[in-house]
Amino acid sequence: MHAQTVLRNARLASGLVLMAFVAGHLSNLTLGMHSLAAMESWRPVLMGPWRSGIGLSLLVGAALAHMSLGLYAIGTRRSLAMSRTDVVQLILGLLTPPLLLNHAVVMHMAGEVSPGFDSTFGQMLAVYWSFSPRYAFQQICVVMVVWAHAAVGLYSWLVLKPVWRRIGGLVLPVLFAIPILALLGFAEAGKEVLDKLAGEPAWRARIIDNLTKVTQVTGKLDALQAWILLAYGVLVLAAFGIFAWRALRDRLIPVQVAYDGGLSAQARRGLSILEISRLNDIPHAHVCSGRARCGTCRVRVESGAARLSPMIEAERKTLARVAAGANDRLACQARVLGGSVEVTRLLPAFADASAARSPEDWSANVAPSPARQGTA
Amino acid sequence: MNRLRQLLLAGALCLASATAAPPVHADQGMTGWSVGVLANAKARIESLGADLGKAPAEAGKAFAATRVSLMSGAGVRGFTYFMILLFVGIAVEWLYWTYAYSPLRAVQAATSATPLQALRLGLRRLLLLGSGLLLFTAATIGASAAFAWPPGMQELVIAATLLLFMLRLSWVVVSIILAPGRPQLRLVPVEPGRLRWLAATAIAALSLLALGQFLPAILEGAAGAIHVAGALRFAAYSAATLILLVGSFAFFGRPPSRRGSALARVPLFPRSFVLALLVAAVYIAWLMSGRAPAIAAIVAVVIALQLGLREMIYFYWRDESDSDAGLGALPAIALSLARFVVVLAGIGAAALALDTPLTALAESVSPWVRIGLRLLGVAVLALLAHGVWIAVRSVVDQRLARIGPADPHHAPDASSRLLTLLPLLRVTTAVLLLVMLVLSSLWALGIEITPLLAGAGVLGIALGFGAQALVRDVIAGIFYLADDAFRVGEYIEGGGNTKGTVERITLRSVALRHHNGPLHFVPYGALGSVRNTSRDWVIDKFNLPLPIDADSEKIRKMIKNIGEEMKDDPVLGPHMMEPLKGKLYRVDPGVKIFRCKFRSPPGKQFDIRASALKRIEAALKKMGLQFADGRQTVLLQARAES
Repeated sequence: MHAQTVLRNARLASGLVLMAFVAGHLSNLTLGMHSLAAMESWRPVLMGPWRSGIGLSLLVGAALAHMSLGLYAIGTRRSLAMSRTDVVQLILGLLTPPLLLNHAVVMHMAGEVSPGFDSTFGQMLAVYWSFSPRYAFQQICVVMVVWAHAAVGLYSWLVLKPVWRRIGGLVLPVLFAIPILALLGFAEAGKEVLDKLAGEPAWRARIIDNLTKVTQVTGKLDALQAWILLAYGVLVLAAFGIFAWRALRDRLIPVQVAYDGGLSAQARRGLSILEISRLNDIPHAHVCSGRARCGTCRVRVESGAARLSPMIEAERKTLARVAAGANDRLACQARVLGGSVEVTRLLPAFADASAARSPEDWSANVAPSPARQGTA
Repeated sequence: MNRLRQLLLAGALCLASATAAPPVHADQGMTGWSVGVLANAKARIESLGADLGKAPAEAGKAFAATRVSLMSGAGVRGFTYFMILLFVGIAVEWLYWTYAYSPLRAVQAATSATPLQALRLGLRRLLLLGSGLLLFTAATIGASAAFAWPPGMQELVIAATLLLFMLRLSWVVVSIILAPGRPQLRLVPVEPGRLRWLAATAIAALSLLALGQFLPAILEGAAGAIHVAGALRFAAYSAATLILLVGSFAFFGRPPSRRGSALARVPLFPRSFVLALLVAAVYIAWLMSGRAPAIAAIVAVVIALQLGLREMIYFYWRDESDSDAGLGALPAIALSLARFVVVLAGIGAAALALDTPLTALAESVSPWVRIGLRLLGVAVLALLAHGVWIAVRSVVDQRLARIGPADPHHAPDASSRLLTLLPLLRVTTAVLLLVMLVLSSLWALGIEITPLLAGAGVLGIALGFGAQALVRDVIAGIFYLADDAFRVGEYIEGGGNTKGTVERITLRSVALRHHNGPLHFVPYGALGSVRNTSRDWVIDKFNLPLPIDADSEKIRKMIKNIGEEMKDDPVLGPHMMEPLKGKLYRVDPGVKIFRCKFRSPPGKQFDIRASALKRIEAALKKMGLQFADGRQTVLLQARAES
């Protein structure tokens, strides 16, 4: 299997692991609509597995893998021609680690640094709702950012599958229900915690006692966070730096693409045909935004096939799935390495996810081959 | 009905009160009025100065207060609810887009050959994008009713949602009109090089205006920071004005350069200067908060729009006018509607600028205001009537132009009924519209028309006796037309020895051209039973007197042969609906009378009969026969007795 396909699948798998964890965590929060006690009693079921050795290493591994694969994707990006979904995913993904860091560090490190600290829901909610609401705002934003990132990722992967026709109607409402219910649970549990703080002095004393334990180690935790953030910032900058360097390196070597309908475009060497289309405002279908999954961007290469980058495994598979012709390529994978090429877009620019799920329905729309001019 | 009237009155009042002086100084003439305006402006600018001066200190205080109020259980709760609302709104819009995204992509990928098609595509895009936007806003605001908000939070959230709505709306509108990246969908002619800048300028200005409208309200509501809000509003509006000023010079200053013809160019209308002047005028008017200048600026904008509207509207029908002779009713109606909308928008803007509730304005007591108001109401009614009249007239004219004038040399066909009825419809509509306009204008002016109508009833009875004949004519006419008794171009015979070709039909009478020339004007009441000789077919019969010794069978065959011949004739043949036939009809002393007949379309029988007689005469000559000469042969037998 080609390395690129492995990386793509690894990113997807690690994302799914992370999403499973977040979904479990948010479901646990939802129980706050019932009571604080329900949240606590379900915690071992919903979040316990991730506390065990295997679960924890899986989670941390997935988080690190997903983050580094995301940064790698930024670094290996060839241009800023992205779909709107990709821009949203990029921004949300970059925002997640700094926003989430505090929560993760407090939950997992505080217990180790300061023995005797118990990170129950009651404790954390008391912190959020009464002692330092600043963290509550951060947490609410994290729910929004992380879940939006996960939902968009899951949706754009699943919507291309034939199975989406059956499960789509179920998955989509669930994707929206989970964060809404979790936030509602958060609000209800918050009310209960505030009542409890006012009405049960013993409980309040225990919370404050616990809190002082954490504040003793705050300095250490902050230093740790600062180091992690610094490392993260360096990594992000490095990724963008590599992207900029690669883009600038090739900017002086132009290539040309001629399309059907008399359109033509010029761009720098090394860009894929789809990126050239998008940079030049040429209508071109691309449902999966350049991941070689949907096959809607495919083109028939009329001339200059030798000047395109060779086919990789993922492209070959997708082309076989959509029953493409011998001269067809995926515009998102075929990079122009020099000179000029001539292509015909095979699907109308308004093709949507149904074209990926059931290519046979759209084959009627595929433009017929025009008469070749002169000798090819 | 009453509501409409109130609305008209209120709308008119906005404009009227602009021209009327502020009530305080109304009695002091022009000087007092100017002093009042200046004093207003001075107070306003002083308060602005105070806003700017106190804003920083107040901002610090408000920030601290907000921080305290937010960093509490209530603040967290409000923020949580707000996030839930956002999720709900996004969920609803996402659901919408799972259905609407394919149509949108199809529209965006479509190509348009003419500006009109681009306009249609643009409207469709506006519908798709606007629906999503509205759904999001409605879902967010609607869902906010479900929560128990901390005090003051809900207003804040709704204001924030509205701000979001305005920002997104300005984005949608600009992207539809300018369509950056999709030249085939562009609605206005813009040089591609300037496009992105123009779009950015428009979005920036619109966003700043929206921010200036909503953000200060949020600030005032949340923190009570009046001065900060005032300063912010000032900053936002000033920035927007600056951007618009720069933009008006940058984008309208240089007309698209045509190389080679630079010398021969006529000095152009200084569009950029006028535009900048308008922007500046509106801004200064806002700054001074004087009502008159604000209204004057709005009136100027409305007039400028009205002047340019014709060109703008016809831009979209420009390409089709080459192929089609008549542009059709659509641009005229669109123009009329657009004028109407511009005036209404102007009135709305004036109401906003005056910052006065319309209901309060409608109860104003100043007589000038009331008169102006009512006159404006009349103007609005006239505009409406004009729109309807343009629509009817252009449809009728276009149809008439397609049919062409009545051709007296051809038989009237189906279109002649339209030719009869359409002009009548046009006149009737005009009369009806005029009467309705007059009546409703009187009503809008506040003159009670009920007694007028009642008086007209009494007068009507009196007139009715006198105008009995007139009424009878009109009513009879309606039934003649409904029965389709005659059309323009048909030859009819009415009762009372009136006959002729129908030349003109009016509400009361029909004009008949006698075949000898005189024109009869016959009131429908006197027309009586109508004999229409121009419908479907006629049968013509004529007699042939032949000598008594002529062979009947031979003659019959001869006539039949002539009939066949005429049927094959290229000129006459098509008109022979039944061929010529003849047979022995009567035998008189010394004469055999043959009767011939044929069937033809109305009006053709005279030519055919003449031709038939000519051919029969020639055939008789060939047979050695003559027409019966009427001479009686008297045989005298001489007695041989000599």
